[in-house]
Amino acid sequence: MASVQISNVKKSYGAVEIMHGVDVPIGDGEFVILVGPSGCGKSTLLRMIAGLEVVTSGDISIDGKRVNDLEPKDRDIAMVFQNYALYPQMTVAQNMGFALEIAGRPKAEIKAEVEKAAEILSLTPLLARKPAQLSGGQRQRVAMGRAIVRNPKVFLFDEPLSNLDAKLRVKMRAEIKALHQRLGSTIVYVTHDQIEAMTMADKIVVMNAGRVEQIGTPLELYDRPANLFVATFMGSPAMNILPAKVTADGISIAGVATVPMPAGLSASGEVSYGLRPDHVTIGGQDAVSADVLVVEPTGSETHITATLGGHEIMIVSRDRVDIAPGSKLPVSLASEHAHLFDAVSGRRL
Amino acid sequence: MSKASLSMRPALQGYVLLAPALLVYLLFAVYPMIDVIRMSFASWNGLSAESRFVGIDNYRAVLTQDPVFWGALWNTLWWTALAVVIPNLISFGLALALNQNVPGRSSLRVVFYLPVIIASIAVATIWKWMYDPFFGLFNSLLTSWGLSDWIVDWLGDRKIALWSVFAAHVWQSVGFSMVLFLAGLQSVSLTLIEAARIDGAGRWAVFRHVTLPALTPTITIVFVLSLINSLKAFDIVYGMTGGGPAQSTQMLAMWAYTQSMQLGDFGRGAAISVILLLITLAVVVPYMRWMFRNPEDAR
Repeated sequence: MASVQISNVKKSYGAVEIMHGVDVPIGDGEFVILVGPSGCGKSTLLRMIAGLEVVTSGDISIDGKRVNDLEPKDRDIAMVFQNYALYPQMTVAQNMGFALEIAGRPKAEIKAEVEKAAEILSLTPLLARKPAQLSGGQRQRVAMGRAIVRNPKVFLFDEPLSNLDAKLRVKMRAEIKALHQRLGSTIVYVTHDQIEAMTMADKIVVMNAGRVEQIGTPLELYDRPANLFVATFMGSPAMNILPAKVTADGISIAGVATVPMPAGLSASGEVSYGLRPDHVTIGGQDAVSADVLVVEPTGSETHITATLGGHEIMIVSRDRVDIAPGSKLPVSLASEHAHLFDAVSGRRL
Repeated sequence: MSKASLSMRPALQGYVLLAPALLVYLLFAVYPMIDVIRMSFASWNGLSAESRFVGIDNYRAVLTQDPVFWGALWNTLWWTALAVVIPNLISFGLALALNQNVPGRSSLRVVFYLPVIIASIAVATIWKWMYDPFFGLFNSLLTSWGLSDWIVDWLGDRKIALWSVFAAHVWQSVGFSMVLFLAGLQSVSLTLIEAARIDGAGRWAVFRHVTLPALTPTITIVFVLSLINSLKAFDIVYGMTGGGPAQSTQMLAMWAYTQSMQLGDFGRGAAISVILLLITLAVVVPYMRWMFRNPEDAR
């Protein structure tokens, strides 16, 4: 276990700078998830921690030691890749023991370590098989086993669940989380799936276009997004953002509804009014009429897409709503959970 | 249309599309092959209207009364053993070097591949000139370096003639395997290499545990192609020495040709061809069977 410190890290390819001074502190034993859309630099940052990409400027330290110029093998890290990266000609046991074999450990010790990791991951019956004879989920577990066997200071995961089907992804999510709780190891995990980030992380780093947008616990990010990007990226379905104006009567939203200023917030002039779909109420005293476009029942919830003053909004209701597309739906936008953002900079007010 | 005829259609379409190629193959490959086997049991001078069945006389004559056959067989086996190893090792080295990000890499790939597209008979002529004892490049270079004592008659000395021809073969064939190896190297997973680096593997360990296993199918193809091409070596030897001096560069395929086309004994020529075919099958078939029995290892 170890802490990882990423300080003012920049990355350029030729003259093009794609990472613009990133700072991420990662505590000992913390499960940190780097999340963001494709091309935001999260995988590049992970690969820089691993030593697979050169750091253009700034420092990366593991356990207080600067590792910028160290080879991957000298950083005491293990990495689980998106496509598992298992050696096809080796058995599961050989794959898992490869790093120890390269390190010249005695055969008996390698066998014991492999068996121990296999036991943790329920891989014992598969030890003699080759990767081609395994399912996607089993391969993923072998990839994790290969990392565990090394007992590294830091585990790095690069979108490890992307190639699995939805059901298996949920199962593996729980397994990885349980593994972290059991081993107590420091994990840096990259994903573009914000559900994965929300459900697994101790701390989430939201990245966009080579910058860190916000760092915080999952609930901090959900409840107090620092800007419009984080507000719309975290949470599914995404937060509704409507143009609004602060007036003497309260907040005039999209010219169709006026709601009181939520407690604890203050603003003036043009703002963006953010409200999560489950905080939009159907009916209510100050309800305004929205035009229903699409109704999606998920079983436990009903997702309704509607337009309000020319803007599309999403409403999530815990109740079963029997309404047809094309009809009118009274909705109330007043909520103590509303968020206000600066209309120009997008920063939280 | 009935269900059965519907399900037959794809198979039928397949046969229709295969038919022209199959016809050409049967006519120009299978029929001559069978006819050579028939001919190997006959006595025929290539001109007469009739041939006479002689049983295994041709085989007996070739194996017991023809010292040139044994010399040619020995040369062919040596040639094959070396041709499978030496040019391919050079090709592999070149492919590894040209797979790196070296300046002028594309041009160098073209340069090394160029000899492959030159006709063997032209390669033979080029090298014959270079080997010329009086005006050739090699002896001129040795003279200009003050190494006149090392001057030899490259194609006229029976001790070295075969290896002089072999050098030309290496020069010509290296590019072909190099391209196959390069294609194989392109398919080596970068992620696997990265995983191995993280696992602590150095350059040699990455090569041994990642690159080499990923190249197994390519190595198999290169091995089989080299083996078959070497066993039937003909044109470059024919163009450079014609089998001489004193049959020292005689090869089985060339001896079969000489027996038939120059000595007019098609029966013996056919018998030598059949023996060559059996040797080829004896080597290639077990290898292919072994390869298909281990699909995991061959992957």
